[in-house]
Amino acid sequence: MQRGADVMQRRWQRACHECDLLITDALAPPGQKLVCPRCNAVLHRNPKNSIRYTAALSLTGLLLFIPAATLPLMHFSIFAFSGESTLLNGVAALFNAGYVWLSALVLFCSVLAPLVKFLLLAFICWGSAWAFLDGPVAVAVRWYRHLKEWGMLDVYMLGVLVALIKMRDLGKMEVDVGLYCFVAMMLVANLTTLSFDPHVVWARMERRRRRARAAVAGGTQ
Amino acid sequence: MHGRIEGSLMLTWALAITGALLLLPANILPVMTVIYLGSGEPSTIISGVMQLYNAGLWGIALVVFVASIAVPAMKLMGLFLLLIQVQLRLPLLPLQSMRLYRVVSGIGRWSLLDLFMISILVALVDMGVIAQVVAGPGSTAFATVVVVTMLAARSFDPRLIWDVYDQRCFDNENPGAGNE
Ligand SMILES: [Zn+2]
Repeated sequence: MQRGADVMQRRWQRACHECDLLITDALAPPGQKLVCPRCNAVLHRNPKNSIRYTAALSLTGLLLFIPAATLPLMHFSIFAFSGESTLLNGVAALFNAGYVWLSALVLFCSVLAPLVKFLLLAFICWGSAWAFLDGPVAVAVRWYRHLKEWGMLDVYMLGVLVALIKMRDLGKMEVDVGLYCFVAMMLVANLTTLSFDPHVVWARMERRRRRARAAVAGGTQ
Repeated sequence: MHGRIEGSLMLTWALAITGALLLLPANILPVMTVIYLGSGEPSTIISGVMQLYNAGLWGIALVVFVASIAVPAMKLMGLFLLLIQVQLRLPLLPLQSMRLYRVVSGIGRWSLLDLFMISILVALVDMGVIAQVVAGPGSTAFATVVVVTMLAARSFDPRLIWDVYDQRCFDNENPGAGNE
């Protein structure tokens, strides 16, 4: 009983992650968000159906990633000469020119981080249903938090637009199918970030643990 | 919950100063060269913006200017403002500082715009003597500035602002306690 009360206390009282203010009852009703009264940090967003939406969206993102990363984004031609751009051949061109650090950064921010973000979120959402995955899911949430700001599909998209406009006097610029897939992937990535809420995952784990404890207690009586 | 960052203040100082020092080569060295029919001048970040502006593309020139010049400069200034304030325990308003902290940590990523554009053009415009885009050493320096300032914003622990605030409130309530 003593332990049970302890758990309750920890669940309902926590410190704001930006100012250390202790807050009790720190859970927002679904669809609304809770803001720290002292520093205005968003403590809890509680999006509706967070896990279900995030699971579906991250899977969609992974599917879109395949054409977006393999198909050409755009074509450029002068006279009979032409070149095409994919997510990866820019990285390769920089690498071959000796800009190893720059190419690694572009690869990380435009390909690896977005891909790993989708993978982590898919894993978190599907994996939090099973007790034996609790440890790995917690690690995945922490990784996701570190990786979050390094996925830069939206910035890359703006880079594409600037490139399109900048080169239009020099030759003929054409947009390809890959770019449409890329735009769709970018939108899905942003929606996924919005719909994900780690607290929902923790709450789901806690519910499952309580059910398991109740089942054990019921079995011994 | 989120653990406090070990040695946050010193680490942020080091990263912010590194970023500020690298800002110079990032702006002086050329970031890329567009070679068309055998001729082309290397362009820096600033001259790239000027070219766009002179071509009448002032909208896109403004976007590139904000992302590549205004954002890194404002971000570094904001970081130094936060650092000095915490270091000297200045009595600034904590809510304003928090707003500054959130702006500083949110805008940094947009500076990679120019580098993404370069990586796209290097692959797209590669036709030997007809036309070619080549990256320049400034791009490496600029990439490092962006990464270092992003890490600096990351390593700054906003709770330091509140530590200063709490300490000041405590000192005001207990005058003379600090003298003993
Ligand atoms: Zn707070």
